Amino acid sequence: MIEVVNIKPHGKYAGVYLVELEDGSVKLATKNLSPGRRVYGERLYLYEGVEYREWNPYRSKLAGALLKGIEGLVLSPGSKVLYLGAGSGTTPSHVSDLIGEEGSLYAVEFAPRVIRDLLRVCEDRRNMVPILNDARFPQRYSHIVPLVDVLYADVAQPEQAAIVNMNAKYFLRGNGHLYLAIKSRSIDVTKEPDEVYKSEIETLVRGGFDVEDVVHLDPFDKDHAMVLARYKG
Amino acid sequence: MLVLKVVALDTLVGSLIGDEEGNVLVKSLSPSTNINELVERALKLEDGEVTEDFIKSLRELVNTYGDQVEVVVTDDGHARAASALNIKATVSPENSALRRLRNTLITTLISEGVVKSEGEWVSFLNQVMIQATRIKLRGFAAKRDLLAIQAIRSIDDIDKTINLFASRMREWYSVHFPELDDLIEDHKLYATVVYEFGSRDGLSVEGLRKLGFSEGKAQRIYDVSRRSMGADLSEVDVERIRDFVGVILNLYDLRDKLSEYLSQVMKEAAPNITELVGPTLGARLLSLAGSLEDLAKMPASTIQVLGAEKALFRALRTGGRPPKHGVLFQHPEIHVAPKWQRGKIARAVATKLAIAAKADYFTGRFVADKLKKDLQDRIAEIKELYAKPPAKPAPAPEKAKRPERPPFRRGRRGRGGR
Ligand SMILES: C[S@@+](CC[C@H](N)C(=O)[O-])C[C@H]1O[C@@H](n2cnc3c(N)ncnc32)[C@H](O)[C@@H]1O
Repeated sequence: MIEVVNIKPHGKYAGVYLVELEDGSVKLATKNLSPGRRVYGERLYLYEGVEYREWNPYRSKLAGALLKGIEGLVLSPGSKVLYLGAGSGTTPSHVSDLIGEEGSLYAVEFAPRVIRDLLRVCEDRRNMVPILNDARFPQRYSHIVPLVDVLYADVAQPEQAAIVNMNAKYFLRGNGHLYLAIKSRSIDVTKEPDEVYKSEIETLVRGGFDVEDVVHLDPFDKDHAMVLARYKG
Repeated sequence: MLVLKVVALDTLVGSLIGDEEGNVLVKSLSPSTNINELVERALKLEDGEVTEDFIKSLRELVNTYGDQVEVVVTDDGHARAASALNIKATVSPENSALRRLRNTLITTLISEGVVKSEGEWVSFLNQVMIQATRIKLRGFAAKRDLLAIQAIRSIDDIDKTINLFASRMREWYSVHFPELDDLIEDHKLYATVVYEFGSRDGLSVEGLRKLGFSEGKAQRIYDVSRRSMGADLSEVDVERIRDFVGVILNLYDLRDKLSEYLSQVMKEAAPNITELVGPTLGARLLSLAGSLEDLAKMPASTIQVLGAEKALFRALRTGGRPPKHGVLFQHPEIHVAPKWQRGKIARAVATKLAIAAKADYFTGRFVADKLKKDLQDRIAEIKELYAKPPAKPAPAPEKAKRPERPPFRRGRRGRGGR
């Protein structure tokens, strides 16, 4: 097992840590809300009595976006988050670490196959609320989701900006933030946005969002960009 | 007359009605902290059902403020519920007062003393929704029983087709090599030989060995082929036979794939039944019952004779002895057992199956480990207690006179009793 040399807070993103390993490499990590438990086979590091979980940018688009220097981490202890397309819980588990016991994460996912894994993650993390439902029909979960501070969308669907707009109308508070993972085939999204990407952003703007930053996730994810936007509401 | 404009929200723990600013005017909370009750409500609300609390708060609204009210709601179902009370309703989930009201739910719950803190509420929701999600997953799995049923019926159809085609193949190829029919009993092996070598001139001991025949057998087939009484075939004749045989081999492949698929689906749809009697017999039982739900509602005595309807109805008609088992005969413990033990073992298997089916359908809990163990113990007991055949066979009851009415007609396609 590789020894940890040092773990220190990430200068730019509160709640995110940098793990310096013996071999000179540096990894992103979050404090493990559920000590002793792994979610997707990630490494656990114990340092000065606190357990951290490595945050793999190849598995989690949000970690990739942070490594690509996205403008701002809008998740902090106590945040309320609505997460669309939670999958088996990889990124949601790190969001759960970041928002802590006081936060709440409403995790919407519609594929029965992956939700079994997500349930296991939720069992260890009481700040996560699993919702087996289709993000295209927010009224189906409007009886439990409150206004949230952050909307996180990664449903990997062509019409996802429209899905985001609809959910924002129901649940995103004014000045709340959006992280949106967009599938994009362009080389440099900030310079030459391709059609898919462009139309997605236009849809967001029509829905009342101000786009604050866009980063391409290459090399962690060749196909995706992460958009950070603010909801005028 | 002044019209009061309000917004109304239906939630997991009750209903809130607010004014245009989102301030609470009427609330009807069901501050239950009983997880099972809440799970039930959560499932209903997700289906778009309207809660009694919602109706109650609307009634209260009308009582207090008169019926000159206009209400904004989140969806059509709730709009209809309001209209039914003669209240004008519009659907606008993004309405800002409604959004604000949604946000006051948690503070209301805290001020009402339902929960102490937001954290407590969320960990509560976590439990409710984990449970509700499990129930929904079970719902998905339950429908998969219908896929398992179609798969097992397809497998049965394929078996019938293979048999039919195999007889045709043997008859056809016998024009050319009649002696082979007696040399290879297994249809698949016979088909493979025809497909691989085509005309009997193509046979070689080496090639037959490669297909898995022993040295002696390969030599024997080869020798017989050299002095066959069959007619010679042209290339075209052989090719058409091979086309036909190729289809048979494809059917075998398809059957393998479907069996694999069947065990997957059965594990999802009915894990307990599958663990207890295996995917094939399990699927046959589902198929005979019609669905997992139907099987789960059957008493053990019915399960015991599923597939023996013919014999059962005959017994009922004639007053003869009822069958001891139907399709359960396929259970290895039953068909290898001596005759006099079979009925008892079938009874034991059926009893455990009835429990397994109920667990699969109603709770989704996995209890098959224990069922299997109990069953094995019971079978061992039967083998010990009834080691010897009964001293003398009970005399067959006198046959009753055949009743006048026409023979009983079954609705379901018969599967043939044993
Ligand atoms: C790329 S995966 C999400 C991975 C996850 N965000 C993570 O980083 O760990 C996309 C997920 O969205 C789900 N999804 C797609 N369309 C959806 C919809 N309309 N409603 C809910 N979930 C959806 C898919 O089933 C899939 O699990």
